[in-house]
Amino acid sequence: MKHCCILILFLISLTSQSQNDPELIQINPLFNNEHLELNKQYFLASVNDSIKVETLKFFISNVQFFQDEKLIDSLSKKQHLIDLENEKSLQIEMSRSNKLRYNTIKFSVGIDSITNVSGVFGGDLDPTNGMYWTWQSGYVNFKLEGKSKACSARNNFFQYHLGGYQAPYKTISNIELKVSKQNLIVINFKIDAFLNGIDLAKSHSVMSPNDTAVALSKRFPEIITIGDEK
Amino acid sequence: MKNSRSYVILVVLIATAFGFSKYQDLQYPDYFPVPQYNFDNNRLSDEGIELGRNLFYDPILSRDNSVSCASCHSPYNAFAHTDHDLSHGIDDQIGTRNAPALFNLAWQKSFMWDGAINHLDMQALAPISHSGEMDESIQNVVLKLQQKERYLHLFKEVFGDTPISGAHVLKALSQFQLTLISANSKYDKVKHGSDLFNEQENKGYALFKANCNSCHTEPLFSNYSFANNGLIVDTTLNDFGKYAITKQSKDSLLFKVPSLRNLKFSSPYMHDGRFRRLNEVLNHYTSEIINTETLDPQFEQSIALSSNEKADLMAFLQTLNDTDFVFDPKHQFPLNKSKNPKE
Repeated sequence: MKHCCILILFLISLTSQSQNDPELIQINPLFNNEHLELNKQYFLASVNDSIKVETLKFFISNVQFFQDEKLIDSLSKKQHLIDLENEKSLQIEMSRSNKLRYNTIKFSVGIDSITNVSGVFGGDLDPTNGMYWTWQSGYVNFKLEGKSKACSARNNFFQYHLGGYQAPYKTISNIELKVSKQNLIVINFKIDAFLNGIDLAKSHSVMSPNDTAVALSKRFPEIITIGDEK
Repeated sequence: MKNSRSYVILVVLIATAFGFSKYQDLQYPDYFPVPQYNFDNNRLSDEGIELGRNLFYDPILSRDNSVSCASCHSPYNAFAHTDHDLSHGIDDQIGTRNAPALFNLAWQKSFMWDGAINHLDMQALAPISHSGEMDESIQNVVLKLQQKERYLHLFKEVFGDTPISGAHVLKALSQFQLTLISANSKYDKVKHGSDLFNEQENKGYALFKANCNSCHTEPLFSNYSFANNGLIVDTTLNDFGKYAITKQSKDSLLFKVPSLRNLKFSSPYMHDGRFRRLNEVLNHYTSEIINTETLDPQFEQSIALSSNEKADLMAFLQTLNDTDFVFDPKHQFPLNKSKNPKE
């Protein structure tokens, strides 16, 4: 009987433990199927040469959970700055208001137009984070910088600062992914696939809202996938 | 100011009745429209305004602590830069546009001659970061401010016990600039019923309403839209205005319509400061309009004014000068708080 009680207590503690585990969205930037590390040399197939990424920063916003097209829940914090230099920023706590099941997650890469025209905000949106243009209003939705010999710019430096919230240069990208697990969602960003689709010799510096920024932003749905849930 | 006071009292009464205090700090006349600025995200406070004023006059915002906002936006010029056709920045660099006068900013929909900036809060980022103006970064401004006891104290008074952020710096600058309200010219006194136009001013007012009011709309004397007013392109600058921002050919040579208040203090005129005197401006509109594809349709027929009519119009424009605004001690260098602005 005594043993039984201990066993029951143990089981209760186990279940409550799993309930208290934070529900997480884990952002997982990948290069050739490994977790991307800054300043590490990788092989890029399209240029048949090495490449390194020095900066990867982007916004994830308006995260929503759906069950068969029915909105179940959404994250109260609207914008999340993901910065590979700060591994902690790759984890988004879900802190959902209910425990209803969902099978789809929707979110945007970038900042919506209303936020773009509503003045200054602190926290993840603070202009000191280097994700706001100074010469022309607007957030940089996605920033990828690095070096590749294939790149004809000074010091072989490439920089993609994708942004723009007004037509015809609207660059926010809406993503929809099917999920099975509830507690941990791993979202892959295949940076190698993104770079493989760019002619680095020609298109290496994008730093304003323009046609190239729009075209590159349209490719996010191809490179963002649900990852293995460990 | 009688009307504006009673308006403020009214707003306070209504606000008290509803249990909130929207706009109660911003005083403006009852014939002004509703401000564009959303005060819900940046509630004005005496401390916030004072902090913004300190920042506005402090060269700490520039790379080598040499240039402040007031360097090009002097209170005595209605916050424009007298005698400078083009803005004058760090290391004596010369910019490409005339530093505009600053007042009644709560009513502006966008900022800069080309509308590049969409919100007052974000405006200061441009001159702070521009290599030819202050050549600094907002990140470094925050680091510098964090090392000053005086600012740590001032920021704490406004934003509480959190580290100074870029958002705090910009909100404080907005708070001060929002208080730069010019609404006490002779025109305003006539509106309040405490003064009267003389005969010439009345004639000028009629000419103004017939020829200018569609863009330089009362009572702000601008509708803050963008227009091509027929200026010939200065080939040393090749400035195509709003086109540089939108890259749409319909926006070529469109510049923001400036307010006609305080012209006496804010010469020279136009986006590149090409006209030193008002009569040059009037002559432009009567006889020097250049017809290009994007010319505002209103200029397709030039404005006809006799020399007497020009004198009448000029007399009316003088009634828009607001000396009280220009010499208001509340807008000037914050002497009383600290003797040395660098400490």
